[in-house]
Amino acid sequence: MKITWRDLLLAALPAALAGVAATVLRLSLGRLAVLLLRADIGTALVLLGSSLSLFLLVYLGARRAGIARSRAAIERHDRESGEARRRFIHRLDHELKNPLTALRAALANLQLALSESDRAQRVGDVRLQAERIGRLVADLRKLSELEERPIEQLPVDLPGLLEEVVEAARSNPAYAGRELRLVVSQVPWKLPPAVGDRDLLALAFYNLVENALKFTKAHDPVEVRASEDGRALIVEVADRGPGIPAEDQPRIFEELYRGANARGFEGSGLGLSLVRMIVARHAGSVSVRSRPGQGTVFTVRLPFDARDRAPVPAAG
Amino acid sequence: MNDQRPRILLADDEKAITSNLAPFLERGGFSVTVAADGQAALDGIAALHPDLVILDVLMPRLDGREVLRRLRRAGNWIPVILLTQVGEAAERALALEEGADDYLNKPFDPSELVARIRSVLRRVTPGQPPLASAWQLACPPEAPGQPALALDRRSRRVSLDGRTLDLTPKAVALLEYMLTHPGELLSRERLLDAVWGWDYPAGTRTVDTRMAELRRALGDDPARPRFIETLPGEGYRFVARVVAA
Repeated sequence: MKITWRDLLLAALPAALAGVAATVLRLSLGRLAVLLLRADIGTALVLLGSSLSLFLLVYLGARRAGIARSRAAIERHDRESGEARRRFIHRLDHELKNPLTALRAALANLQLALSESDRAQRVGDVRLQAERIGRLVADLRKLSELEERPIEQLPVDLPGLLEEVVEAARSNPAYAGRELRLVVSQVPWKLPPAVGDRDLLALAFYNLVENALKFTKAHDPVEVRASEDGRALIVEVADRGPGIPAEDQPRIFEELYRGANARGFEGSGLGLSLVRMIVARHAGSVSVRSRPGQGTVFTVRLPFDARDRAPVPAAG
Repeated sequence: MNDQRPRILLADDEKAITSNLAPFLERGGFSVTVAADGQAALDGIAALHPDLVILDVLMPRLDGREVLRRLRRAGNWIPVILLTQVGEAAERALALEEGADDYLNKPFDPSELVARIRSVLRRVTPGQPPLASAWQLACPPEAPGQPALALDRRSRRVSLDGRTLDLTPKAVALLEYMLTHPGELLSRERLLDAVWGWDYPAGTRTVDTRMAELRRALGDDPARPRFIETLPGEGYRFVARVVAA
């Protein structure tokens, strides 16, 4: 959520007024004590009454401002989620349009197919597009299920898991011969375990590694790095690819968003949303740094298993 | 003419599905009757006594789950395949009580449905509750010296000769799925879809990792398996005899 100047003003104004009122009340209470000592009850009552009404006035004003502020926040939240929903529907419409158009074209050709080989080719096209829509639906289901279902809370050996993920990517024929390195920090101590669902974390890291390989050229190296900083476990997936334009960076974790450099690539458009969801369900965070023309680094931070903490940095 | 083909009742309100699926099943060697909603399915079962029922979940009048509940409540153990997914533990317990013989998630490949129908028909003993709805499953020793394997599905406890095994929840779920589908070829993709609820290109390794964990705990030798057999390039098969305990 973005904070505007109006928010700051609305938050600061009642606080300032309340501060003034409190000071007035404190000063008048001091004065009141003096008047009471002098037994000037009439003046004391007038002073007490006027300061209490001032306090009440300020309090009511502050409350009204508070209500207006939360109403504005709710309205803005509604507006933002409405916009997000509209963007999502727009993108979904777009994602469905292409395979459906291909499907209709293939069916039209199937009707006109003259030879057996032509027929087989068209049937293959139909199957391919059906699979493409199927993948999209499956990923959407995964996302909505992940949002709600309880997840395992078991110690996860991160280096072992990353080794498996990297091996899986290496054995994918599409990435044969690619330079893919795994660097795990070992000194002075081994990485403590993360906690959660090993299989879901594998899915998240595989998505990041596959993206790094998919959106870069055959000679671009990809590096997976695991470390910790005393507060969290850190996994970075870095590539020396074309990078992500600055204007796309805040949006790439949104469902079905495709950045300028990601168009024309296979995929459901939900990979990074899945990564974000899985990491969030593990009480972690994911962020991106990218320089167009130089490369991209995705950073995942995951909490330690509370039962097995690494040394924490001393407070400075 | 005496029709020896197994009779299937297919209940789904989506005509685009039944009008293509029914002929496909007919070609697969079954005699198919279509019902367009839950009530029609119940009527059809009462009138035709089919060998197996395929129920979609979302249907007008009566949904598939309610049809299944009414059948089981009446003590009717006709084999049922429910067209939905069983995901998490809570849902699995619910599915156990509802007593379907198998589950298949939409969208599915029609040939996968044919394979499921065949294996359910092979597996069931007419008039008996399916393994899928038994709370306790066991593999009794077949030869002297063989350990007895038992799974209590309520407490998620697995034991070998009475000794509780230390297994992750995922490994227990995997074993549970294999115990309720004995003798069937289970591809890694199918296991991912049924046990994990998702599939991804490298997910098949996930299955292998958990399978290795399970084998270690069961003391099963992949070269001479008593429980889990590997079919290279195809998947796994649970080879021991399973009984409802």
